[in-house]
Amino acid sequence: MSEMDNRPMLLEVDNLQTHFRTMDGVNRAVDGVSFHVRSGETLAIVGESGCGKSVTAMSILRLIPEPPGKIAGSIKFQGKDLLKLSDREMRAIRGNDISMIFQEPMTSLNPVLTNGQQIGETLRLHQGLNAQQAEARAVEMLKLVGIPEPERRVREYPHQLSGGMRQRVMIAIALACNPKLLIADEPTTALDVTIQAQILDLMKDLKTTVGAAIVLITHDLGVVAEVAERVVVMYAGRKVEEARVGDLFRTPRHPYTQGLLGSVPKLGSSLTGETTRLAEIPGLVPSLKQRIPGCVFATRCPKVTELCRAVPPALQEKAPGHIAACHYAEVEGVAAA
Amino acid sequence: MWAYIFRRVLATIPVMAIVALFVFSLLYLAPGDPAAVIAGDQASPDDVERIRASLGLDRPYLVRFGEWVFNILRGDLGTSIFTNLPVSHMIMQRVEPTLSLMVVTLVLSVTIAVPMGVVAAWKQGTHADRAVMAFAVLGFSVPVFVVGYVLAYVFALELDWLPVQGYTPLSQGLWPWFENLILPSIALGTVYIALIARITRATMLEVLSQDYIRTARAKGVGQRAILFLHALKNAAVPIVTVIGIGIALLIGGAVVTESVFAIPGLGRLTVDAILRRDYPVIQGVVLLFSFVYVLVNLVIDLLYTLFDPRIRY
Repeated sequence: MSEMDNRPMLLEVDNLQTHFRTMDGVNRAVDGVSFHVRSGETLAIVGESGCGKSVTAMSILRLIPEPPGKIAGSIKFQGKDLLKLSDREMRAIRGNDISMIFQEPMTSLNPVLTNGQQIGETLRLHQGLNAQQAEARAVEMLKLVGIPEPERRVREYPHQLSGGMRQRVMIAIALACNPKLLIADEPTTALDVTIQAQILDLMKDLKTTVGAAIVLITHDLGVVAEVAERVVVMYAGRKVEEARVGDLFRTPRHPYTQGLLGSVPKLGSSLTGETTRLAEIPGLVPSLKQRIPGCVFATRCPKVTELCRAVPPALQEKAPGHIAACHYAEVEGVAAA
Repeated sequence: MWAYIFRRVLATIPVMAIVALFVFSLLYLAPGDPAAVIAGDQASPDDVERIRASLGLDRPYLVRFGEWVFNILRGDLGTSIFTNLPVSHMIMQRVEPTLSLMVVTLVLSVTIAVPMGVVAAWKQGTHADRAVMAFAVLGFSVPVFVVGYVLAYVFALELDWLPVQGYTPLSQGLWPWFENLILPSIALGTVYIALIARITRATMLEVLSQDYIRTARAKGVGQRAILFLHALKNAAVPIVTVIGIGIALLIGGAVVTESVFAIPGLGRLTVDAILRRDYPVIQGVVLLFSFVYVLVNLVIDLLYTLFDPRIRY
């Protein structure tokens, strides 16, 4: 369990704080999140809607509009702090060293530019290819992501493709310049289940061919189990747990993670006669506009005590490579440690 | 596509027929008697009656309409009551100044207004945005002739940079031609610029919040390419629509502008014809303007396909 990962460090996010100034106060969408990604590694960031995972992803590429947003902390990519770069330096990284795919394949492609133009644009921008070279490479990329008849598709427009095909085009755009890091923000959420599996397989394949590290943002624990090596669990703008994927699924230490895992329906459970009610986490994510004195999960935690409401638990290594922010995590299932 | 163009051209026939009926009827019903105008103040009722008969004004309405349409179809717009020249000939003589004024205004307005709207949308809420919006409101509320006289006073009379009035044909050189059109074009274009800039801003604001703009940013595309390639092409359809609709504005404005700047164009011809109750000329000009407008609309519909691949006919 304790083998050291000695792949070089690629991305180090330290105390990331992304706040939005709104009419009625500051929304602390991301509040002091730290994590790292090594070269070629796949890290999943999971959590409910509104927990700050997408904002974290957008913050890495500095795609948060400032103002009203404000990003603080440090985001080191290959040792360089992205937050200190000029706009021009940042543009040279976007789509080139770090690229991103989004949740909505139906709306994330520009409807008035051909698929080829959209794939070729990054190549022309970052690799200085001319129009013909870019188109030739776009055809190769379409072939790589498994789009049939790439020579024809390259001149077609996004509306002539299905949702799954569009997401493949998005992936082609993202991988065109052989990025070192691919941020995938819910890449399969908007797709049919069968297409989801195809896209996930494609991402796994391409990860080995291109060798990019992946930060996968998702709320789908099935996806996490399938592709991730390590997992960061976020709740209310904070990281509450981090572990290798096997450890997390085997021994979740934070009550929130336990709740998340418990709320996944088990296939066929109704057939075997165990008609138990699906577990849920009661309540809602708290408003991120007020400072929470104790643990952010206290309002919904089944194991909450006075201590939780008063003192915020620190992130602590509960087992090798397994971090959680809970006062009572040691007590819960530390059998392996 | 060609089938569509053909169908659209066919569809202009009933439109033009209705316009023709309107044009003919309006003047028929309008007060004032051209025969009396031509005859002059000292004419006896008999004289007026004689002139009326010679013009064919005493015959029934439908007969005259049928005859008129039939002649138009042969390319004969009739003869001016006042000058006795063929109307088509009079129009041809006046087309160049008006066409020049419209084209220069159109080009000038679009090249000024679209970037203005784009910048306003990009810099939403800043002073630049507010300045554009203030101009748009102002441009809308000040009439053409006021802008025209102020421009002529400042730039022609006081500063003496540009000619006050008049028109020089293109055949006498590009600059003399253009020089005479600068002030009229700005005067005529002010409302048009305001209109286009506003629509451009509004449409761009909507487009800039779309997911694909975020995608473009994530790809490392620079601000200029995002605005003018990724966003503007998506915003093009409403903008082109307004540019087209605005041509009606230009046609109306040209009449006033030509009067202010003494440009011998179709606008002046129209005003003069109306003052003299020169029916055939009025009918000819109005019919021509309507035809141009119908044509412009067709061109706009076809332009849509150029900007938005999802639109196919």
